[in-house]
Amino acid sequence: MELTWGLMIVIYLFTAGLSAGAMITSNLAFLYGGQEFERVSRWGAYLSPFPISLGLGLLVLDLGSPFNFYQLFLTLELSSPMSYGSWIILFFTLLSFGYLYLWLPQAYQKVGQTLQLERWKKRLAMLMPFLSIAVASYTGLLLNAAVRPIWDAPLLPILFLISALSTGVAAVIMISNLSPWKRARHKELHVLTKADAGLIILECLIILIMIVMGRSSSASESMAFSSLLVGNYVWVFWLLIVGLGLIIPLFMELMELKGKIPVKWVWPVTISSSFLVLFGGFFVRYVITYAGQTNSWF
Amino acid sequence: MTVRMGFVIITSRCIDCDACMVACRSENDVPLGHTRNWVKSSGVQGQFPRVSEMFQPGNCMHCDNPPCVSVCPTGASQKRSDGIVIVEDKKCIGCKYCLTACPYDARFSNSETGKADKCTLCLHRLEQGLEPACVQTCLGKSRQAGDLNDPSSVVSRLIAQYPTRILLKEVGTGPNIYYIDEAVPDIPDGK
Repeated sequence: MELTWGLMIVIYLFTAGLSAGAMITSNLAFLYGGQEFERVSRWGAYLSPFPISLGLGLLVLDLGSPFNFYQLFLTLELSSPMSYGSWIILFFTLLSFGYLYLWLPQAYQKVGQTLQLERWKKRLAMLMPFLSIAVASYTGLLLNAAVRPIWDAPLLPILFLISALSTGVAAVIMISNLSPWKRARHKELHVLTKADAGLIILECLIILIMIVMGRSSSASESMAFSSLLVGNYVWVFWLLIVGLGLIIPLFMELMELKGKIPVKWVWPVTISSSFLVLFGGFFVRYVITYAGQTNSWF
Repeated sequence: MTVRMGFVIITSRCIDCDACMVACRSENDVPLGHTRNWVKSSGVQGQFPRVSEMFQPGNCMHCDNPPCVSVCPTGASQKRSDGIVIVEDKKCIGCKYCLTACPYDARFSNSETGKADKCTLCLHRLEQGLEPACVQTCLGKSRQAGDLNDPSSVVSRLIAQYPTRILLKEVGTGPNIYYIDEAVPDIPDGK
């Protein structure tokens, strides 16, 4: 079939995952790290609402009948992941702005008492991880439900979740390193880098299992996965995703963790490895979205 | 028994004149660039002088388990009690999810309305007691439509008499276009 969902949908998938990942990073750093992880928690909270807001804007623009979008919120169709997904991303986005407010410096918190706001911050930090996991993984269920080769891979929601977490952590590493104000400390970065390296390894494993499962499935499915390995998407898959998006940043992160990077190189290496993770995460969404549509059953 | 509307398409009677596509476009004001029905060709098969070519007309299969209906986030895509799958324009937001979910590529995005568009089995004609436009115009009588649950209908009689096949059975959509490839010398009488 011709391409029904294009770049706007790819960007949405990427930004929603990024926001969800940054949100979880902030929540967990705050709940389990406390004061020592205050800077990364803060930057996660500041970042999270914006990528998904951009994505939502693109989603509405991609509609054939954009002014009719409110129809989504007049109903809840449980058989349609897009229906419950719309409600999930609506609540996530609204609450992520609330969470951002709770992290603003006191001078900007015009509404509410400090003590009360602190209590709400903790409550939201405990609720948001669940919403974030839903935001990051429902998109996998959404593609699953369209039952096309590649899109129907049962591990797709898990792949999207892990990739979302990885890009979220990387974005927090990047932004908390670029900022002169509230810059992340070494210990915070070390833990985040460790988490990201673990997530990248997990992502590699999931991709490997998906390919093995796909290749040993029906002829249509096997053919679709071939388009990644040796066909139309060979460069995107091997170079942009596996090479630049997974192996190289993983290698850089492992070198950082072992302290093998000379001090004056640490900053550029950290920035480039987190950039590459984001880059790879984008192309994971790209290749799945496109290859799922250019392949069909036969 | 409930009504289950569907098609029987006899490929051996199709000469690829595309009159069904023209009739559908004219009847339903389908914008240029897209079509609600089609005729696919197998390409030339075999070696000269023993060559053949098969034409396979198609359109929405009005499936028993239509994935386009289950994925629709607003309830705009519906399966009626008579089996016809329709889009309620008022509720359609043009998200194109149904387009991606249909394994037969039977839907398209209507560039004039921005909504999902597809074969309605000429519902408006059925209500007037007429056949769908593509069926009425088919000069080889390759296309037949009717109630698959009614044993006295043309479609049921053809299915009872000839071996049939459905497309992409393994996907589990339960399509309601039955294809007959054998030569059918006479079309039986029936509703």
